[in-house]
Amino acid sequence: MSTAAVNEPTRPTTPSTLLERRRGLISLGGREVLRVLKLWTQTVAAPVVASFLFILVFGLSLSGRIRHVDGFDYRQFIVPGLITMAMVQAAYSNNSSSVFQARFDRYLNDVLASPMRNWEINLGLSLGGVVRALLIGAALLLLALPITHVPIHDPLVLVAGVALGLTLFSSLGVVVGIYAKTWDHAGFVQNILIVPLSFLGGVFYSVSSLPSPWSEVSHANPIFYLVQAVRYGFLGTSDVPVAVALGITAILAAVTVAWSAWLFHSGRRLKP
Amino acid sequence: MTSLPALSLRALTKRYDGGLLALDGFDLEIPDGEFFGLLGPNGAGKTTLISAVCNLIRVTSGEIEIFGRPHHEPEARRMMGLAEQDVNLDRFLDVEETLVYHGGYYGMPRPQAVRRAREMMDVFDLRAKAGVRAPMLSGGMRRRLLLARALMHEPRLVILDEPTAGVDFELRIELWQYIRRLHEQGTTILLTTHYLEEAQELCQDIALIRGGRLIARDSPSRLLASYEADSLADVYVKAMAA
Repeated sequence: MSTAAVNEPTRPTTPSTLLERRRGLISLGGREVLRVLKLWTQTVAAPVVASFLFILVFGLSLSGRIRHVDGFDYRQFIVPGLITMAMVQAAYSNNSSSVFQARFDRYLNDVLASPMRNWEINLGLSLGGVVRALLIGAALLLLALPITHVPIHDPLVLVAGVALGLTLFSSLGVVVGIYAKTWDHAGFVQNILIVPLSFLGGVFYSVSSLPSPWSEVSHANPIFYLVQAVRYGFLGTSDVPVAVALGITAILAAVTVAWSAWLFHSGRRLKP
Repeated sequence: MTSLPALSLRALTKRYDGGLLALDGFDLEIPDGEFFGLLGPNGAGKTTLISAVCNLIRVTSGEIEIFGRPHHEPEARRMMGLAEQDVNLDRFLDVEETLVYHGGYYGMPRPQAVRRAREMMDVFDLRAKAGVRAPMLSGGMRRRLLLARALMHEPRLVILDEPTAGVDFELRIELWQYIRRLHEQGTTILLTTHYLEEAQELCQDIALIRGGRLIARDSPSRLLASYEADSLADVYVKAMAA
């Protein structure tokens, strides 16, 4: 080890430009994205393969028996829901596991001790899940297009639906990562809540075709509204008015964002 | 050097959610440029104090200032560097990335962070392991990387919580030499250690704490005189038994 002078103390300089003030956020977001890319076989390739198999197996095998749903070929009908399901699960699981690991190994302390603002830490930790979900969504769309020829009816609604869905589930992942005491806690929400609600949220069928009371019960499922918004963006059809679908998803996203912001502001569960 | 103290604690109190009172109205001032030792048995409140200063716990009451600024302000946090007792390195990053990303968290431009990371890897003999992830490093290398990370952003106040815990004799000597050199260059050092003979040799001022309270604070020579002791270890035993 050298004892050369390497740490001549310098006065801290106050950042002036927006970019300089947000270097911490950019760095933390970059770290989260790097983690996703380093583990790409697990974080991106595996969910893409699993969801693409759904499109292939369900789409090709059932499209002979179920000709049309809401006027669309069944292969096309299931694509929006499957992409939505893969993206929200990735956004949630990425952030819950990354935040829990950072707490568990205590390297989160390096971030908490830094000059970053609470909202920057919150946003930086959320970005990995967002990027991972977008990579999965883009890959699935590229794979599904030549097979299903799924249209994009309203790109603005599609972008809004995806943005709100990723905000909702990225923030939920951060919240659960903060509350979780074991890996099981983080996995429990995914396996017992998000996956079943995704399957029951009209991914594979139109909820309007369900008999009462199951059709009405489906409306209590928050993922149902997200699937409807994304489906409208792709196909121009949904079981509820698109404004209602986007509005309810936006309200849920606002709740989870406020929840995670409160956790970072108060330090509860993050700091003893 | 400035006339402002590097660290100022006023009536600092921390009661954990379970009811444990870890710090009880703690007052402390560390002048700029001092090599300061904080000694006490396990559970005395040393790590709680350090965690409070570094924004890692919720303080119950009291004030903390770093070079005259409230500790929660970004400008105050930018002036502090922390090497924790536990090795808490990011398992997904290699040695160089650990340093570069840490520099980013503290607002360093990337080219500057890369340059500084390479300097730190040279100083701490980590250059050959630049591309190795933290879990694959030996215990001594991880400890060196922790120290390099704490110094990456050139802090004026460096807080070292048991920096030589679990390292072999040779590395301990090297680390102490480096920390001494750092202090000679003007950096304020706040050190906790169980190696009392080294604290006696290195520290200009020593505080003894027990049960979350300050029980003595002075230079090593004055502590020896006031406790009529031959070594800091004797002082420690007498102070803790009192």
